[in-house]
Amino acid sequence: MKKVFALVLAAVMLLSTASFSLAEENKVLTVVTWDATTTPYLTAQKEAYEASHPGVTIEYVDVASQDYGIKTTTMLEGNDTSDVFMIKEIDDIIKWQAQGFAEPLNAYVEKSGYDLSGFVGTEQNYAVDGELYAVPFRSDFWVLFYNKDLFDAAGEAYPTNDMTWDAYADLAVRMTKDGVFGTHYHTWLSAVANWTVADGVNTLADRNYDDLLYFYQLYQKLEDAGACMSYADLKASGQHYSGAFAKGNIAMMPMGYWYVSTLIGYNKDGTCNFNWGIAAVPHKDDVAAGSSFGNLTGAMINAKSANKDLAWDYISWLGGEEGAAATASVGARPAYVSETVADAMSSVAGFPTDETSKGALIPSFVGMEWPVAEKVADIKTIVNEEHTLIMAREITPEEGIAEMNERVAELFE
Amino acid sequence: MRADNKRPRHRMSRLERKNTLVAYSFLAPNFLGFAIFTLVPVLCAIALSFFEWNGGDISKMRFVGLENYATIFNVKKVSQNGLAYFFNRVDLGIALKNTIFYTVVTVPLTIVCALALAMLLNRIRGAVMFRAVFFFPYVASMVAICVCWSFMLMKNGPINQMILALGGSFNKAWTTDSTMAIWSIILVSVWRNMGYYMVIYLAALQGVPRELMEAATVDGASKWKQFVHVTLPQLRPTTFFVSIMMIISCFKIYDVVAIMTEGGPGRSTKMLVTYIYDEAFVKVRYGQASAISMILLILVLTITVIQFRSEKKFAND
Repeated sequence: MKKVFALVLAAVMLLSTASFSLAEENKVLTVVTWDATTTPYLTAQKEAYEASHPGVTIEYVDVASQDYGIKTTTMLEGNDTSDVFMIKEIDDIIKWQAQGFAEPLNAYVEKSGYDLSGFVGTEQNYAVDGELYAVPFRSDFWVLFYNKDLFDAAGEAYPTNDMTWDAYADLAVRMTKDGVFGTHYHTWLSAVANWTVADGVNTLADRNYDDLLYFYQLYQKLEDAGACMSYADLKASGQHYSGAFAKGNIAMMPMGYWYVSTLIGYNKDGTCNFNWGIAAVPHKDDVAAGSSFGNLTGAMINAKSANKDLAWDYISWLGGEEGAAATASVGARPAYVSETVADAMSSVAGFPTDETSKGALIPSFVGMEWPVAEKVADIKTIVNEEHTLIMAREITPEEGIAEMNERVAELFE
Repeated sequence: MRADNKRPRHRMSRLERKNTLVAYSFLAPNFLGFAIFTLVPVLCAIALSFFEWNGGDISKMRFVGLENYATIFNVKKVSQNGLAYFFNRVDLGIALKNTIFYTVVTVPLTIVCALALAMLLNRIRGAVMFRAVFFFPYVASMVAICVCWSFMLMKNGPINQMILALGGSFNKAWTTDSTMAIWSIILVSVWRNMGYYMVIYLAALQGVPRELMEAATVDGASKWKQFVHVTLPQLRPTTFFVSIMMIISCFKIYDVVAIMTEGGPGRSTKMLVTYIYDEAFVKVRYGQASAISMILLILVLTITVIQFRSEKKFAND
């Protein structure tokens, strides 16, 4: 026993000296992110960057995704010196900018002649007073996932890229039979009511929430018809949408594009083996087909990093065409838009081959899930609190929306 | 000790000094820990409650006086609309109301359950096993307990089925119902903690003098009268200790809420500590969060002072 212990100790010592000597030759860039081991695009990005930049090692600092904003803020407040922080929610970067944790990037952009046009303006969500603080590398918008096998079995036509919410609701009700749910709503506000921002006029920070009524009524109609699982049970059981859809008894599910790479992975490892496709999310009568909402994922340089130039090289690569190709290679949607990237996305092994799914890759409009706005963190809390009450049917949608209007107005008195 | 007293004076004082030093050296690690991790942060929080600070650059900290307090109490609106507005609309009022309601219900309920269990298990066969069974929830992981209870309290969960079988009907998930959500938290807290307080009561019951019970029996007192007039008064110091400890821990309720309801639906289970967490770590407003902490500190401090005062009374009784 003692011998084994001594051997292990010796091995550990050897290894640690070995890694120390490696670290001296190699540059290590620490990147704070979430779900590093289970997110395919992170692995692809790391491999591609290291291959094209010999001598640099990317080291991910993995933070649990549900606590990401809180944990990383605490890290930064504690003078963490990790070089790059990935940004999950737009308001995180706004917060970090105000706290002085984000390195301003305009000087770097100028010096390196970095071309921002591929981001088609989305990078402005990371800018404060004209100064850029982060580079976007992923842009997820919401699409409608559907289970092709269930539609084939029911003899119904697949959802199309031009479908109104009413047509979608009818379809969901028709698909509901024999233990099949026509559709599935995750418990989030975004899954139920965020559609209102797809018209390019409404935002969730515009202080008037009357426009959400349509979507809450639509949801309640579907829940009453048994076409989706009840919010109360989903909330109590804490069931995750990924497992719910993968079970194979859900015909349709509006969800973020990121779920594509999860489903491709599920098909590969056998978690689920049905055929699926994506279509554009439904739209209201007066809104253009293919309109959706989405969120950005980006990366910023920690103002306390000791390797800022290398960090800039990395995040500019990550957002640019090469990084975008790596991100797209596993089914995730990069923020950088180009023909090459679109081709890369649809040619990923496991991506549905039908024309509808390919067409759904190019939305006509993508509104921001949450805009950058004054007091947006407070508004978020209020809207989400009333959302839970409406969804649990503690109050009617009308009452909930009146409360949202009143409480948000109080914030600005 | 007697022997020590007979020794010459100068040796005794040296020994005393040594003893005192030893005692202090034993106390030092604990006090250091307390000073670094409790005392200093508390003092900082008191100071911080008068500042505006987002957790970033310390040089950007701004002294705002009582502004944080005015904001959390929403003084402007409350002075116009009265106290009802404070308890029904303002976050702090709602959190206070919920926390106090939770405490007022949980503490007596836990005491009654713990005492009943202790009386039951005091003199029955196989008591050791049952004691272990009832103590188990206290040792089990809080997260596991809360997740299990969430399942049990679902719309078609076992609890609602039992209610149905008993002739009642409740057709909603407890944790997403505005009125029942707080009761589900109370239920889990009582269930989890009663085993712990049962052990304290069991120990106290050993201290009830047999002679008293025998005398009561001889005098023809019924079991119930023995319990009310002998056992309960003998347990009074324990009950007092238990209730104070519990009131303080109830005011600090966080884990069950965070796991089971996240403060919802709406604001129906928002507690003081969940509110502090939200202000500090989600909205990075450390000044306001510290101001709310001060309210909590004052509440807990008041209870502690009452405890010290009453303890003296008990000693004089």
